[in-house]
Amino acid sequence: MRLLSVVLVGMLAVGCTGSNTPAAELLPFSARSYPVDGPAKCSVSEGGTPEVGLKRITSVNELTVKFELCAPDIAFLEKVSLTPFQIDDSGYLQAHAQDGVLSLKPNGTGPFSFTAWERESQIVLARNENYWGDKALAESMIFQWQQDAAARLIQLQAGTVDGIDNISPDDAEILKSDLNVQVLSRPSLSVMYMGFSNTMKPFTDVRVRQALAMALDRKRIVDTFYPDGSEVATHFTPCAIPNACGGTPWYDQDLAEAKRLLAEAGYPNGFSTTIAYRDVTRRHTPYPTDIAVEVQAQLAQIGVIATLDLQESTIFQDNRDSGKLTGIFLGGFGADYVDATNFMDYFFGPQSGPRFGVIPEALQSLVSAAATTGDKSKRDSLYAEANEIIRSEAIVVPIAFSSSAVAFRSDVANAEASPLGNESFAPMKPGDRSSLVFLQNVEPGGLYCADEGDFESYRICSQINETLYGLIPGETELRPLLAESCDSSKDLLTWTCTLRPNVRFHNGATLDASDVLDSFAAIWDCASPLHKGRTGIFRYWGTLSPFLNEERCASN
Amino acid sequence: MSAQAQTPFRRALRSFLEQRTARVGLLLLSVLVIAALGADVFASYSPIDVLIDKEPGAIRLAGPCINALGCEGPQHIFGLDNNVRDVFARVLHGARLSLQVGFLTVGFAIVLGSLIGAVSGFVGGWVDNLFMRIMDVLLAFPSLLLAIAIVTVIGPGLINTQLAIGIVAIPIYARVMRASVLGLRDREFVAASRALGASEASILFRKILPNALTPIIVQGTLGIGGAILDVAALSFLGLGAQPPTAEWGSMIGADRNLLFSSPHVVVFPGIAITMTVLAFNLVGDGLRDALDPRLQR
Repeated sequence: MRLLSVVLVGMLAVGCTGSNTPAAELLPFSARSYPVDGPAKCSVSEGGTPEVGLKRITSVNELTVKFELCAPDIAFLEKVSLTPFQIDDSGYLQAHAQDGVLSLKPNGTGPFSFTAWERESQIVLARNENYWGDKALAESMIFQWQQDAAARLIQLQAGTVDGIDNISPDDAEILKSDLNVQVLSRPSLSVMYMGFSNTMKPFTDVRVRQALAMALDRKRIVDTFYPDGSEVATHFTPCAIPNACGGTPWYDQDLAEAKRLLAEAGYPNGFSTTIAYRDVTRRHTPYPTDIAVEVQAQLAQIGVIATLDLQESTIFQDNRDSGKLTGIFLGGFGADYVDATNFMDYFFGPQSGPRFGVIPEALQSLVSAAATTGDKSKRDSLYAEANEIIRSEAIVVPIAFSSSAVAFRSDVANAEASPLGNESFAPMKPGDRSSLVFLQNVEPGGLYCADEGDFESYRICSQINETLYGLIPGETELRPLLAESCDSSKDLLTWTCTLRPNVRFHNGATLDASDVLDSFAAIWDCASPLHKGRTGIFRYWGTLSPFLNEERCASN
Repeated sequence: MSAQAQTPFRRALRSFLEQRTARVGLLLLSVLVIAALGADVFASYSPIDVLIDKEPGAIRLAGPCINALGCEGPQHIFGLDNNVRDVFARVLHGARLSLQVGFLTVGFAIVLGSLIGAVSGFVGGWVDNLFMRIMDVLLAFPSLLLAIAIVTVIGPGLINTQLAIGIVAIPIYARVMRASVLGLRDREFVAASRALGASEASILFRKILPNALTPIIVQGTLGIGGAILDVAALSFLGLGAQPPTAEWGSMIGADRNLLFSSPHVVVFPGIAITMTVLAFNLVGDGLRDALDPRLQR
């Protein structure tokens, strides 16, 4: 299999030699602003203060791009370092935004270029020989997928792959004594939760949601299924993240009170529902079915009889993010960057989407306000207040802050486990082999990551496409990538980024400020012809800003 | 030789018991039936009872603990699973479910398949053509794939899975029955009945069917093992029995990732499936040999 892959890569590399980019894709730089007809209208909170969002992007000159914001955004750099905010070539975007090629054949500036996607088998990348930074040490990179942790482990031990994602906690213990394998742990920067939509009966009643929150013995779940280093969630955002854990800790299990609340809400004998989940081992969910069975058993104690509803991974995510799940669902979220906005804005901010139904305005305002201030104590108190609302309204039930682990063959040099689950493979050298093969959990939905929401996609995208800033491999600190620097004005309302010169996309186009402008505008403006993607949801955009022309967004 | 020993049943039984493999199959099957019927008596725990907080020292994935072999503490012959439930209780209750699934699925397929095959073979003409072409279409699909497709349409769950596997098996019994009826419908005893004024329906159901049952019984016995295996396969894929129901396929499916760290949670239900399918296959083979007049010794 490995030999076949290497031969295939070689053949494809030979076939791809030389640029065959259509001239129409190589667009010249043009200085302009977006939106064209003046700055975007800023959203204003109930208290009259502007909410975090983009006002205007300007490509000032070839290597300078300016972001004007509606309100100060303390985590602006962290946000633009997210994989979904990848920079694409303007010409490639315009040529392929509508025909779906963006999602199937990505074109970026990264250390690896896309070669082939063999459906249900593997994705093959080749080393970018024109990379602006340190070239990848492996000639090619192959991503394969296998849903079963045990099967991943077999492949690693058999030497058919160089690295595997999410080894099960029980296997991690065994592997520690295996000299042919190196196990690398990720810290607990992810949360596993039990969710429901407050627009779906019976979850419309806060007493029902509180009852569910009190029904769970979360310590038992963590003690039983999670690896060492994991913790019972006291709040929604993992406490390793600064400012995250203010306010009253989460409810302890109280079955009597849960039953009383259910009876008060008109369900003295409980009710029937479903527990939707996906059978994919994630860093936040080591044993999906077993955890679902445990939650099912615990809920039965208060008369909530749930049927397990196992869904295919991508379908589950799409259903969850578009608010289509009518019952309970089990989900998780791993940090993309180390700031509370990553969790709070994404789940409870004004742009958080219909996942949990309707987020109370007060909570949205608090989250927005916390995102716009750099004052640590003020952020502490704002997030503490927000946490109180999440708890009292039982918008979601956080269960565990989980750690996880990856494993590599021992001869893979510079192997790293990204604390955020987004490994950088360019610095890794797979022994004396030319190809680095990594086995992840599932096949990605697509490779235009602006419109993806899963690390199975992000991990691959981030080898091909780059962002203005990125993470130092193996760490949580930022480093400039396509930008040499991004400087803010004193009021934090304007960020001016200077781009790295002479960076070339894999299709031969040169990076300039128009590419940055178009990449952001394509996601930002629902009326743009470039705003298509795979699902059209662009679920991460809300972290940075509201959409333009929101009435035309696919999520509406 | 006594007259009693000459009855076809006795002859078949003796022929069956003379075969060593059939005796082994019967023994295995008896153990299985006893285990299934007495699951509540033999297992001290409920198959869905989570033992955390209920039994001191009960930990996830604890290996087998057999008091007779010197293990102190609560006895769990097959150990505990990932949800801290007694694997022995789950395997025993799984036997009950598997037997029930096997008999019901094959029973359903036999009833419908025999009816279709009998009518088809007896009436002939366009009726035969129509029924058999439909059966050919069903047979053209790989059985498990067709079952998966049916379950995908009607929804997962044990009953739907049985229905799907039953539907998939219908053509096999229809063809066997049709072949038997074709061989019998022109025999003298049928002509005699017709001459005596018996109705066509009476001839089919009272004269031909009872004489055509032997191959169906053999096929059915062999089919039970296959049906159990198919249901286990669908449950493994998450389409059959839904958690927390104790079903062998779903037990293996749920804990398949623990194969290396805690093999007991996967191995025992695996052995149970193997033994059950083997038992039915051995008994089926024995019955075929015993009931086939060409193999009479």
